[in-house]
Amino acid sequence: MSKKGFIFDIQSFSVHDGPGCRTSVFFTGCPLQCKWCANPESWENRKHFLFAEKSCKWESGCRACRDACPNGSIKFDENGRISIAYDICNRCETFECVGVCPNNVFKQCVKEYTVEDIIKILRRDFSNWGPDGGVTFTGGDPLIQHEFLTEVLKQCRHWQIHTAIETSAYAKQEVFLEVLKYINFAFIDVKHMDREKHYEGTGVYNDLILSNIEALVKSGWKGRLILRQPTIAGYNDSDENALQLIDFMNRNGLYEINLLKFHRLGETKWNQLGKEYEYHDHGDMTKEKMEHLQEIYLDHNIACYIGDNTPF
Amino acid sequence: MNSNGSKFEDVLKSRGIDMANAVDAEDYKIPEAKQSSRNLMDIYYTLKVSADMEAPYWYNRIWWENDGDVTVVRRAKAMASCLAHITPTILPDEKLVMNKTKNVRGAFPFPWVCASFFNAQAEALMNEVDAPAESEADSVSVVGSGGGNVTESYGNIVCLAKKFGMRKEEIPVLVKTSKPWDEISVEELSEKYSKMTPNYEQEQRIMDAVICMFDSFAIPQGREVMNYYMPLEYGFDRIIELCDEKIAEVMGEAGDDGEFGMYRGYYYAAMKEITKGLSAWCENYSKQAKYLASIEEGAEQKAIYGKIAEVMGNIAHKKPATFWEALQLTLCCHLGVVNEDPQSGQSIGRLGQVLQPFYEKDIEDGIMDDEGVIELLELYRIKITCIECFASAGVSGGVLSGNTFNNLSLGGQNYEGLTAVTPLEYLIIEAGMRNKTPQPTLSVLYDEKTPEDFLMKAAFCTKLGLGYPAWMNNQTGMNYMLRNYGPEGMNLEDSRAWCLGGCLESAPGCFLPLHYNGKVTMIPGGASPTCGTGVHFIAMPKILELVLTNGLDKRTGKQIYPAHNRKLDSYETMVDQWKKYMELTTDVVNKVNNIQMDIWRRHNMPVVNSLLKPDCFTKGRDLGMMGGRYNATINFESCGTITLINDLASIKKNVYDDRKFTIEEMTDAMIHNFGFKTAYETGIFSPDSKISTENSPKYETIFTACVNAPKYGNADKYVDSILKDYENYMYGMVRGFRSYYGKPLYMCQISVSTHGPQGFITLATADGRLAGTTYSDGSLSAAPGTDKNGIYAIFESATVYDHSMEQNSQMNLKLHPTAVKGLNGTRKLLDIVRAYMRKGGFHVQFNVVDSNTLRDAQKTPDKYRDLMVRVAGFTQYWCEIGKPIQDEVIYRTEYED
Repeated sequence: MSKKGFIFDIQSFSVHDGPGCRTSVFFTGCPLQCKWCANPESWENRKHFLFAEKSCKWESGCRACRDACPNGSIKFDENGRISIAYDICNRCETFECVGVCPNNVFKQCVKEYTVEDIIKILRRDFSNWGPDGGVTFTGGDPLIQHEFLTEVLKQCRHWQIHTAIETSAYAKQEVFLEVLKYINFAFIDVKHMDREKHYEGTGVYNDLILSNIEALVKSGWKGRLILRQPTIAGYNDSDENALQLIDFMNRNGLYEINLLKFHRLGETKWNQLGKEYEYHDHGDMTKEKMEHLQEIYLDHNIACYIGDNTPF
Repeated sequence: MNSNGSKFEDVLKSRGIDMANAVDAEDYKIPEAKQSSRNLMDIYYTLKVSADMEAPYWYNRIWWENDGDVTVVRRAKAMASCLAHITPTILPDEKLVMNKTKNVRGAFPFPWVCASFFNAQAEALMNEVDAPAESEADSVSVVGSGGGNVTESYGNIVCLAKKFGMRKEEIPVLVKTSKPWDEISVEELSEKYSKMTPNYEQEQRIMDAVICMFDSFAIPQGREVMNYYMPLEYGFDRIIELCDEKIAEVMGEAGDDGEFGMYRGYYYAAMKEITKGLSAWCENYSKQAKYLASIEEGAEQKAIYGKIAEVMGNIAHKKPATFWEALQLTLCCHLGVVNEDPQSGQSIGRLGQVLQPFYEKDIEDGIMDDEGVIELLELYRIKITCIECFASAGVSGGVLSGNTFNNLSLGGQNYEGLTAVTPLEYLIIEAGMRNKTPQPTLSVLYDEKTPEDFLMKAAFCTKLGLGYPAWMNNQTGMNYMLRNYGPEGMNLEDSRAWCLGGCLESAPGCFLPLHYNGKVTMIPGGASPTCGTGVHFIAMPKILELVLTNGLDKRTGKQIYPAHNRKLDSYETMVDQWKKYMELTTDVVNKVNNIQMDIWRRHNMPVVNSLLKPDCFTKGRDLGMMGGRYNATINFESCGTITLINDLASIKKNVYDDRKFTIEEMTDAMIHNFGFKTAYETGIFSPDSKISTENSPKYETIFTACVNAPKYGNADKYVDSILKDYENYMYGMVRGFRSYYGKPLYMCQISVSTHGPQGFITLATADGRLAGTTYSDGSLSAAPGTDKNGIYAIFESATVYDHSMEQNSQMNLKLHPTAVKGLNGTRKLLDIVRAYMRKGGFHVQFNVVDSNTLRDAQKTPDKYRDLMVRVAGFTQYWCEIGKPIQDEVIYRTEYED
C-alpha cells in the first residue's frame, strides 16, 4: 500500500464531529470555495504553509529566519518588521523556512501520509475514544482524495473502527456512493437550496449535491445521515430556504439537520494565507434567529440541532 | 437548552432518536447554595488569615508545668489544655461549629517545632509593635487584593510568614512563648544532630541552592488520611474508660516486648489526657451555644443555637446518634489533629462511606432529608476551607500556595471488593457543586465497578471548572499499595481501603467494623503516619544544569557539588554524572530528614492522631513509634520531571546524535539564556515572554534546535523512552535509601507549587525553557505549548511505564469550556478520563477554563474573588496564588475542539 494522501491536520479528542470522542483527519482539497470558509488552507490539494504573524517575535529582535528562504520571500524592513511575499510562498514546494523559527511561525500545514501512517494513529487512538467514538474524515472535502480515502476506509472496516465523514457531496455519483459504502455516519452540507445562491456562496451549483443525497438514500445506505448548514445572516437564514430544505428532506425521508452558527474563527487563517476575508463584519446570527430557524424545522417534525447541542 | 426545549424532545422521541446519552442537562440548573452557606461565604470572603497566641500560650504553660514527665504524657497534657482553652467562636447561620482557633480563618505558630525565626526576629517584631500604625489609606490598599492573605503589616496588624496577620498586642506573647524553645525546638535540636552527619555542608549547599526546598520538620504531619473510627464507634467517655481498662491491664507489664512493652502504659495515660481535652473542647462549644441561645431573640436562630448546644454536648461524651453528630464529631477530630502540628494535607478520606450508616438511619427514621444533609455538607465545605496552616513563607506560599489540601475521596472498592460508592457520596458532590469552595477538594477513585451515573455526576462537577473532582485510578492505587506495603503484611482487603492523603499522596488504609443502627459496617480510614515527608522537592533539572557546569551554580556563583571534571563526551557519561549527583543529594538530604523526623517523633509525637490511627490503640504505641499499621510511608519527592526529560532529549538529539553543536556550546547558550533577557531582569515569568538582547543572534540556531527537539507528550518514542528509563532508574535508586522507620523510600511525583520557585532558581534548559520560568507542572503534564498532537498522544507518552510503581503520577490538563460543551459534553469528558484510566494512568485533573478569563482575572482580581483554578493537585482561589504559578496556569496548552 503505497498510496499517499495530503492531510493538513489530525486532531484528537474531537468532540463535535460525530458520536462520542473522535479523531478527526483533515483532508486537503475542496471542490467548493465558500466565502466564509473556516479552513481556507484546505482548499488546495497540495503542501503549503501558514505564516502565523502573531507569534512572530520580530519586535524583540528575533531574526532566526533571516536567511531561511532561498527564494527571498522573507524580508525585514527598516523598522525590523517581517514581511512575507505570498506569491513566492504560494508556489513553494520545499519549505526551507519550516523548523528554523523557535516560535513556529512558519508551519507546513499539509503533510503526506500513507494509509499505514493514518491507520497507525487511528489504532493508537482507538483505546481513547470510548464506546461511541471513532474517526471523522473531514477537510476540505475528503472526497477529493477518494482513492486514498477508500483505502483508509477499507482498513478502518478491517479494524472495526467507526467511521464518519463531513462532506459537501460534490463528487461524481459513483465515487460518492463507493466511499459512503464504508461510512457509518455522514454529515453532508447543504449550504443553500437555491442553485444560484449556492453558486454565489460556494462557487458551484447544488444540483450534484442534492442528486447525490437522493441517490444515497435510494441505494439503501445503512448509515446515519445528518444534513448540516453553516447558517449565515443575509445568505441562507431565510424561512423560505429552510422550508425548501424541509421539503427536500421530507421527499427523501431525512429528518436530522445540524445548524452551525456562523463564526469567524477562520479569519486569521485567511490573513495568514494572504487572502482577503469577505465576512469580516457581517454574517453573524443571533441566538434568537437560530432558535427561530430551529423552531421551523421542529414544527415540521425534523430534528434540528444547533451547534454542539447534538444527541450524539 | 432553549425555548424550543420541549418541542425538541418531542420531535426526537417521535423520530426514535436516542436521547438516553444526551443526559447533560444543560437545563439541570444547579440549585443555589443554601442561605446559611451563602451568608457564611459572604463573611469568609472578607476574612483575613489570622494568627493568635491563645493556643500556644496554654500549650506552653502546661508543657512547662509538667517538666520532667514522660514525654508522651506531657505532650498530651499540653495539647489537651491547648484545645480545652480555645475560645469557642460560633457565627450566626452556622450549624456545624468549631474552628482551629478563636478566629474562623485562624492558625497559630508552633514555637516548639520552630522557634529560631521568632527568637531571631524578637527585637524586630517588638519594634513593629511600637511602630505607629500606617495610614488608613495604606491599610485599605492591602485589603482586597490577594484574597485573605496578609502579605504585609498594616494598621495594628503585623504580618507573619507573608500570609498571617497577628494583632500587635499578641506579639509580646509570641516572643515570650518562643523564648524557652531556644535551641530545643524540633528545628534546632535536629539541626544540632544533623551537623554531625557526614557531608552536612553538602546538604546545606543543596538546601541553600533550593535544589531541595523543604525541611520535613516544617510540616511533619499530613499527606495522610484521617481515621474517625474510634470516636464514632465508642464516643469520648467510653474511650476514657477503655484507657483506664488498658492502664489496669498493662501498666508495669512489658509482656514479651522488652523494647516497647513498658511504653504502653504511658501511651494509654496520654490517650486518656488527650481524650479529656477533646471532650472539654466540645463541651466549651456546647456551653457557648447555650449562652448564645439564651440571648438570641430570633426564634429560628435560637433553635439552631439550641441544637448546636445539644449536638456538642452529646459528642463531648457519647458516640454519635445522628448524621449531624457524626459529621460534627469527625470535624472535631480533624481540627484536633491539624492543631497538634503545623501540617497540610491532613485528608478526610472516604467520608461518604464512613458516614453512610448515620445518613441511612436518619433517612429511615425521617429525622433528616437529603436537602438537610446537603446543607450540612455545604457548611462542612466552609469549615474545611477555613483550615489554615501556619508554616514559613517558603512552605505556605512556595510549596502549598496557601492551600492545606484536605482531600475527600469518593468511590473505590469496599471491604468486599464491590463498588464502595454510597448514596451519601452523591450528595457530597452535589454540595460541592452548590457551594463552590477550594476545600475539601474531591477525588474520585475511578474503578471499573463504579456506577456510571456516579461517574457522570462527578464528571459533570469537573466540567464546572472548579478543579474538582480529580480522577485517580483505583486499580493502579491498589496495585501500588500491595507493592509498597505488601512487605508489612498488607492484604487485598486493606489495599481496597487506600485513598488520597494531601493532594495526591496515595495513603494506606484499613477497614474497621462500625456497630451502628443494628448492623456492622466495615468503614475505611487511614492506617499510617504521614505519607508525605522525606527527601522533598528535588529540582531534577537543576541537577542536570549543575552537571553541565561542573557543579558550579552560575546563578549564585557557588560551587554546589564537588567538581566532577569529567569530559561529557557521550550522553551516557552525562546521565551517569547526573545520577551521581542525584544519589549524593538523596543521601545527604535523607540523613538530615531522618534526624528531623526522629527528633519530631521523640519530642513532639502526635497525640490526637495517635489516638485515632489504627493500630496505635491496639498496640499501645503512638504513631511516631510505629503504632500505625503501615510505616513504609516516607518518600522522595521530585519536581520538574518533564522539564528534565525534554532537557535530556534535546541534548541527546542535538549534541550527541545529530552533533549540531557541542555540549560546551549548549552549556554556553543555557548560561546566557539563549541570548534573551532573563526573567530576573524583566520580572516577567511567563514562559512565552522572550525579549532579545544583542546576544540573541549568536544563539538563534541553538535555541531553534532546542525548541524543535523531540518533546514529551507527542507519542514520540525518542523522548518517551527517556522517561521510561528515568522512571526505572528512580524506582531502584530511591529504594536504596532507608527512612527513620528503617523502610525503603519511594517516589512521590507531584510538584504542588514548587515548580515555580524551583524553576526560578534554574537557568535556561536545553528544551528551550528560559531561566527563572516555571518547570512543567506535575510529573506527566506536557511542558506548555509543546504537546502538538493532542490529548491522546499525551496519554500515550504518559503511560510508557507502569504507574503503580510509585505513589502517584500527576497529569494536569486544561480544557477550553467549549471542548466539553453540548448535550454530551459530560459523557465526552468521562470518555477521556476513562481512556487514561484504561491505559493505567494514575491521575488526571482538569482545569475547564478559558485562558482569557484568567488573563482578565490577573488584571482585575477584585472582579474574580471567587474564581478557583486547579493548580497541581489542589484547587485554590486564583487571587491567593503567586504570579509565577498564575502565569504557568495561563500558559498551559488549552484543549478545545
